[in-house]
Amino acid sequence: MSHIHLPDGVLPIWLWVSGFVVAILVGAILLRFIKKEDLTRRLPLLGMMAAAMVLGASVEIVPIAYHVNLTVISGILLGPSLIFLATFVVNMILALFGHGGITVIGLNTLVLSIEGILGFSLFRLFWRLLKRLTPAVFFATFLALLVSTFAMIGVVSLGTSHYEELIHQEGKGLFEFHFSKEKEDHHGDVAEKKVNLNRFIAILLSLGFIGWMMEGVITTLIVRYIHRLRPDLLRLERQV
Amino acid sequence: MIQLSYLDYLAVEGKSWLHHLSPKLKIIGMVLVLLGIVTLRGLPGLFLLYAILLTLFFVSRIPLRIFPLTLYPLVFAFLFIFISGFQILFILLIFLKVLCGSTGVVLLLATTPYPSIFRVLGRVLPSLFVTALFLTYRSIFILLNVLEETQHALYLRGGFQWRHPWRSLNNISNAFGHLIIKGIDASERMYESMVLRGFKDKIHYRGE
Repeated sequence: MSHIHLPDGVLPIWLWVSGFVVAILVGAILLRFIKKEDLTRRLPLLGMMAAAMVLGASVEIVPIAYHVNLTVISGILLGPSLIFLATFVVNMILALFGHGGITVIGLNTLVLSIEGILGFSLFRLFWRLLKRLTPAVFFATFLALLVSTFAMIGVVSLGTSHYEELIHQEGKGLFEFHFSKEKEDHHGDVAEKKVNLNRFIAILLSLGFIGWMMEGVITTLIVRYIHRLRPDLLRLERQV
Repeated sequence: MIQLSYLDYLAVEGKSWLHHLSPKLKIIGMVLVLLGIVTLRGLPGLFLLYAILLTLFFVSRIPLRIFPLTLYPLVFAFLFIFISGFQILFILLIFLKVLCGSTGVVLLLATTPYPSIFRVLGRVLPSLFVTALFLTYRSIFILLNVLEETQHALYLRGGFQWRHPWRSLNNISNAFGHLIIKGIDASERMYESMVLRGFKDKIHYRGE
């Protein structure tokens, strides 16, 4: 849900260019924290988790228009530096399949990596505090999804003036077009042609809540399954 | 995502002039399409761009069963109907932008083998990123194979039924967990064989 599904050409140029610049800067800083050998050794794991995220994102739960991101579980397994690179790769592949625009990759990387990094950090924190796997994973996932969805809403609302410009742009642009509409009608329509962001947020949050609960439960059950079979992957013993 | 292997097959086996065109030119073409999508703000311009892309699609003899892939992103564009307050021209504009982008990308993927795309990207992007991209792309196929086996097990355990939500969530989670563990095992094996073949940070493509 926190993935920005906006196509190319909808967000203002300054916004998506800034997204790329900030994503590259953050990526460069985060990758400095990881040793080169560790990075090379974990690249195949990164590829596999990124592939799982791509597959998760392609399974749409139709009634609530939701797909699982699996970002939190990937964050838990990969750690904060690698999850950032993984989200970059995932967004690039998803964009190639029309799942969000190519120009939105930078912003999507920032939003999704907030989810992954926050999920990782909250999971470690809750595990340290509660010492119980189920609530630690569930609350970490739920809160990470909540925050990243608000980050996504923030990004979408930053482009509001641009959407309104697009709605009002009849007769402008590189190729002009005029439909048989009287000028006075146009003025009368202005109030109606405002972008209805509140409606969008209301729909998103109500559907999102069901999705966060569902993804929280799915992530918890996956982590429990992994904990039963390959506990070493969760690297929990270091913290106990 | 299941169509991915078929797209790869088309990209390798296709014989049209677009298949023979240099990958570099095709990627430059895709960048120009993106530039058009970002800058064009009128319906006629976008209609023209979409018509050109559709012509290329049919001229390249890409099978019609691939065409629905270009329509898939419209699912996500539907939220604009709500954002815009049902402004038909705005919705049409957004839908055309979406269709131009998706048709361009499908054209690129169906006419260019992915190692060629990654080779071109490797010249402009950091090698670490391109290697991660390559490994992810490869892993999707590994996971799809595991998924096929897992699906049978999932169906035998009842699959997904809205009447039994808890059991369904359990089934799906176990399937994903199984998928991830199998995938990680496969990734470890893949890494070992890559190291045996001399892998050090960067994947070298044929012809480099």
